Amino acid sequence: MCVLSLVSMPARAAHELLQVFVTQPYLELHTGPGRGYPVAQVVARGDAVDVLFRRTDWFKVRTERGIEGWAAARDLTQDSLADGTNFKVSLGDMAGFASHHWESGIYAGAYAGATLIAGYSALSLTDNLKIEVGASQFLGNVSNGYIVEAGLTHVFIPEWRVSPLVTVGTGYEHVSPKVLLTASTDRDDQVAYAGVGARLYLTRRFFFRGEYRQYVVFTRTNTNEVNEEWRLGFGFFY
Amino acid sequence: METRIRLLLLSGMLLACSGCATMHWPWHRQKQPQQPPPVEVTTPGDQNTAPPSVVEPQVERRTITVPAIKAKNLELGGYYGELSIADFGAQPVAGARLDYHITEDLFFEGTYGRAKAGLTSFEELSGQTRLLSDAERRFTYYNVSLGYNVLPGEVFIGHRLAMTSALYLIGGIGEVTFAGDENFAVNFGAGFRVLPTDWLALHIDVQDIVFRSSDIGFAQLKNNLQGTIGATVFLW
Repeated sequence: MCVLSLVSMPARAAHELLQVFVTQPYLELHTGPGRGYPVAQVVARGDAVDVLFRRTDWFKVRTERGIEGWAAARDLTQDSLADGTNFKVSLGDMAGFASHHWESGIYAGAYAGATLIAGYSALSLTDNLKIEVGASQFLGNVSNGYIVEAGLTHVFIPEWRVSPLVTVGTGYEHVSPKVLLTASTDRDDQVAYAGVGARLYLTRRFFFRGEYRQYVVFTRTNTNEVNEEWRLGFGFFY
Repeated sequence: METRIRLLLLSGMLLACSGCATMHWPWHRQKQPQQPPPVEVTTPGDQNTAPPSVVEPQVERRTITVPAIKAKNLELGGYYGELSIADFGAQPVAGARLDYHITEDLFFEGTYGRAKAGLTSFEELSGQTRLLSDAERRFTYYNVSLGYNVLPGEVFIGHRLAMTSALYLIGGIGEVTFAGDENFAVNFGAGFRVLPTDWLALHIDVQDIVFRSSDIGFAQLKNNLQGTIGATVFLW
């Protein structure tokens, strides 16, 4: 039954597909979603294609004669919709780097002398202000642990290829000491952090991001800990 | 004499005729100068005097709803294979993987796998001696990697079936939990992906998971080679 329902899905959805009319002299259809795949079909000006789905910056389309192929987003955006307006999609470029809804990334670095692995996702409230959630694991000679956190990041000039940023936030840290000492037990503490950094646009949807942060660990002792962290990694926006 | 009388008469006639147009004759004094007809100013509220209106079109503009385009950039699936755990022999390994395709060339991958280590040569030869407990023999790992489709192409089966494929290089960082310790790990390798349909991908992967461990008393770099086959489904 599941197989039957999967097979019947394209037929039910056929009338809900977006139709794009070729207004350029022709539209090339490749055999796969990549620039290296050969052109197998050409759609003439005035004909329409149904857009089936998108993979990265390529669209699987079906012609009026039922032939399927892959059209590059940069080609398809030069054609128009049924109401005469241009077909618009977000492409991975500098404009998207400056203004996007979501971004995610992974980092490597060091936290209080321990090796750090981290990941994050951010939702853009504005082009400058982003709300972020992240998780990181640190692996050291003395102790291991992890941090989960949430914070705000302000990107000063997002349209610059190298755009500086500041970030603040709070979270929760779990530490597991490796060496079994009498006073060493697992502990959970709240943390707060502040940091500075920059992001560098590389290509398409990719950017490089680096940060330096200071964490304050609100311990149960009389003094709080202050830990330094640096992190370097890659991010992508979507 | 006749000439002088004639000149006198002609001069008199000329004087009499030249002033005719400038004279106001008594029968003309009651006439007023002609005024232009008054212009009627109408207001928009005055329906009786409004000019005829232009025909207003009664056709409502059609609103076109643009269907959303589904994006299928995310692969989710599993794999199974053999993991050669340094000093502890090759053991079956199973795991889950999540791939996100960012561009036609690059993708992120996150994996989680687990295996159970066997016995070392020393343990095999010494009989009942065990270096690790059963719980410590559990080898679990995760890694986050960046992959590059270095050789995209197509696979042909017969003369009617063509499937897109890619040979990719991959590398990343992660963590390995083994012998009661958590270790930072680096992974790198290569894989081959073929798509029989638009929503299904089959994978063959070979990777090396490297970490520094002191599970047998002194720190050393451990190379753990892994070969797997797997399948993923494009979800979103």
